[in-house]
Amino acid sequence: MARDRGQSEDFKGPFKRLLLGILVLCLLGLFLFWRIDSPRVERFRAQVVDAIVPSFDWAMAPVNGAVNIVRDFQSYQRMHQQNQDLRRELQQMKAWKEAALQLEQENARLLDLNNVQLDPRLTYVTGVVMADSGSPFRQSVLINVGSRDGIKDGWAAMDGLGLVGRISGVGDDTARVLLLTDTSSRIPVTTQPSGQRALVIGDNSPNPLLDFIESPDEVRPGDRILTSGDGGVFPAGLLVGQVIEDRGGRMRVRIAADDERLEFLRVLRSYRKDRIDDPGGLIGPSAGAGARAADQANAARAGDE
Amino acid sequence: MSDTRLPLSWLMRALYATLSVGIVFAHLLPISTVPSGWAGPDLFLALTFAFATRRPDYVPILLVAVLALGIDLLLQRPPGLWAAITVIGVETLRNRAPALRDLTFLSEWAAVSSTLVVMTLIYRVILTLFAIDQAPLGLSLIHLAATLLVYPVVVLVTHAVLRVRKRAPGDLDAARGRT
Repeated sequence: MARDRGQSEDFKGPFKRLLLGILVLCLLGLFLFWRIDSPRVERFRAQVVDAIVPSFDWAMAPVNGAVNIVRDFQSYQRMHQQNQDLRRELQQMKAWKEAALQLEQENARLLDLNNVQLDPRLTYVTGVVMADSGSPFRQSVLINVGSRDGIKDGWAAMDGLGLVGRISGVGDDTARVLLLTDTSSRIPVTTQPSGQRALVIGDNSPNPLLDFIESPDEVRPGDRILTSGDGGVFPAGLLVGQVIEDRGGRMRVRIAADDERLEFLRVLRSYRKDRIDDPGGLIGPSAGAGARAADQANAARAGDE
Repeated sequence: MSDTRLPLSWLMRALYATLSVGIVFAHLLPISTVPSGWAGPDLFLALTFAFATRRPDYVPILLVAVLALGIDLLLQRPPGLWAAITVIGVETLRNRAPALRDLTFLSEWAAVSSTLVVMTLIYRVILTLFAIDQAPLGLSLIHLAATLLVYPVVVLVTHAVLRVRKRAPGDLDAARGRT
């Protein structure tokens, strides 16, 4: 037995060991390169994903469809109860709808009075979710719009109701949306009505943390959370969710978007606003204006003589 | 003999690659986008180990490296690191495969477990050294435990369904004749 093993290692020879060494070195080299020049490798990754995942699409669609059918079937079994819940909710919704209509009219009147200009460039592109991150350690989804549709890194992605995440990684036909729940997601927000600035920090749990609150005492569970637009990445005023308190007494966010079933996402086009870098110069008569004034004074004097 | 043997081993390699792609595909399905408190097993690794301890010739190291790197890229891991560790781990097990051939399944399981634990440790240490965000410790421990627990099942399937079995003495002669 032992002889046999020795022999087979002899057969393997230096060539195989060399191949193995080169392989491991290449892989580690790629890792180092990624660590040093992350954007370039991430772009390569986006291209790989862009090439591979759409080719899975034909197989993914039927499997997803089947899973959804099974889920729908499960919900049929609870139909009666659901029906009653829905009726009750509908009653509440009617009241809210009335209130919303009145508010909308009031808002329109006030905007008109104030002569407010809304940003006309805040439009959106809608994409379909193709795949998720595939790993329990990362929270992201892949959507089927990419740089071909003008998507750029950092834009906000929403479902119909609330913020879902931001674009992080764009391929030709696909883009990755980093969800709010991912550990590397940080979103600047304000709470309402208390008006505190804070950060929503993903920690791989369904309800991300709300941290770096200006004065934590003023934030109550139930407060609404909107994006604040700090840092210029996101437009301000997108709904994120509600404040809840976890068992440890820490503030967390119940996300307004339906995380369980992300199907269509809208990506908000946001263009970087002009920034004010200039500290403001001295205001005085310019040299040209001064000379012209002197000429005029001379001419007047000559006319007098 | 050699006519039937060569296609079989290529067939098994193709089968291994197909199964791996299938596993990634299942991972990528957007069935649930809610973060869960537990992590499923790394089926690709379990499958690779099961093949490597039984028939090292079915998992050429180049194929393992390419698949592992592809999975790294698709699953948003730091590219190359886990692939390199996987290659080293698989190669270790391949070298131990002749010794494991005579032992019981329990000792094989122990060998796989120790390899996997060391691999996870090295991975986390390197991530810490390079100051890269990593998964919570609890989650990756669950991941490790799940992979170890699922290993016997994967072995059962590869043994019974895919008919990947350790070489019997008769096979060995045939193989030696081929080389």
